Amino acid sequence: MTNIKQIEENLKREAKRLLESKEVSVVLAYARGYDEHHPLPYAARTAGEVGNLIFNEYCTYNLARYLTKYPPKTKIAIAVKAADSRAVVQLIQEEKVKKEDLVILGIPFIGMKDPKTGEEIDQKTTCHMANPVLYDILLGEEIRDAGAGSPYDVLAELEAMDQAARWSFWEKEFSKCIRCFACRKACPMCYCDPCFMDASRPRWADKSPTADGNLMYHLTRFYHLAGRCIDCGECSRACPMDIPLHLFHKKMAKECETMFGQAAGMKIDDKPVMVNYGNQDSDEMLK
Amino acid sequence: MDFEPKILGIACNWCTYTGADLAGTTRLKYPQNVRTVRVMCSSRINPSFIIRAFQLGADGVLVGGCHPGDCHYGTGNLYARRKLAITKKILEFAGMDQKRFRVEWISASEGNKYAEIVEEFTRDLKALGPQNTFRIEKDSRERI
Ligand code: SF4
Ligand code: SF4
Repeated sequence: MTNIKQIEENLKREAKRLLESKEVSVVLAYARGYDEHHPLPYAARTAGEVGNLIFNEYCTYNLARYLTKYPPKTKIAIAVKAADSRAVVQLIQEEKVKKEDLVILGIPFIGMKDPKTGEEIDQKTTCHMANPVLYDILLGEEIRDAGAGSPYDVLAELEAMDQAARWSFWEKEFSKCIRCFACRKACPMCYCDPCFMDASRPRWADKSPTADGNLMYHLTRFYHLAGRCIDCGECSRACPMDIPLHLFHKKMAKECETMFGQAAGMKIDDKPVMVNYGNQDSDEMLK
Repeated sequence: MDFEPKILGIACNWCTYTGADLAGTTRLKYPQNVRTVRVMCSSRINPSFIIRAFQLGADGVLVGGCHPGDCHYGTGNLYARRKLAITKKILEFAGMDQKRFRVEWISASEGNKYAEIVEEFTRDLKALGPQNTFRIEKDSRERI
């Protein structure tokens, strides 16, 4: 695996070249926050700003989140780790961004750490892939061995529970939600404007965080992300109340893979699963 | 008094709703536990409707659409099948008994199938008892 300092150097070099040659008008990457362990998403617009870019194991944010914020046809370079690249692919499938407007700077890396806890996140909260699935420039050497285990191993405990126990688990977790919408803000696939939660007719939930509104928000959001969530785990890391949202999203990703035979954000010419229905589907899925 | 489950039925206009009508006009006997809402197509059903129904105290939800291949609009029920399959998985993983949510394909000529399914579903729900998982208190229901 390429040394993380080397990745940072490569990132700066490519960003500088892309901005100087005017190939792109913005480079989405990371800069230092209040200290090294708390980086921030950063948009470099000039070669001079490239000096601010950093990359270290705390740069967990999924920058694909910002792609849909730019007007169409903006030329953007974006730094992506494996899961982030899947978000870019999914956005291309959903026709939210065009491949020709992007320069994808791929980062092959295993060993990212949660800025809040310092714990390694790959195995637990992400899709546990090492290499980006789509890139134009790779900022380090491809990783041959991502380590054993499936991204769905963490579900074992919840899957083994009976229904009543699972409900009391989620009921307790959802009751902590203060409806700050950080999960929605962090998620690359939550680009709807307005979100169903902001609608006043029908009003799906009270503005204040009531238990029933929280249930409606989360279950509907899980539905809206089913087959689209690329398992970056950012929603859970963004949550100030430490609600393990990624576990539910992972379960839905697993179910979609089993039922529809396709994981989100793997190939640009895949059709998103929700529009890829057909006569070949079996009624078994409704059992 | 025996527990009488409340069932929300959501039926597509072209098949299941007409099938239910047929069950009525041919004077088939079946339990009166279903309150039916008619939609133009099963794909019109927003999964949030189902969550809301359980919050407002439904003991079961029955969705009926045309048989795959027979959709009035061509592919609506094929889309609905994927949507509702995911809905089912969500309810199940959240901790709702998945027997409380049922999807059936019932054509306009299948009045007897409609009656049989309602009969069977009502029986199953009676055995399960009242749904208290998502149900919210009566006085807070006014809010929503
Ligand atoms: S739902 Fe969470 S894990 Fe899935 S794409 Fe959004 S932020 Fe990432
Ligand atoms: S980030 Fe956490 S507290 Fe905030 S809305 Fe999402 S789940 Fe609720």
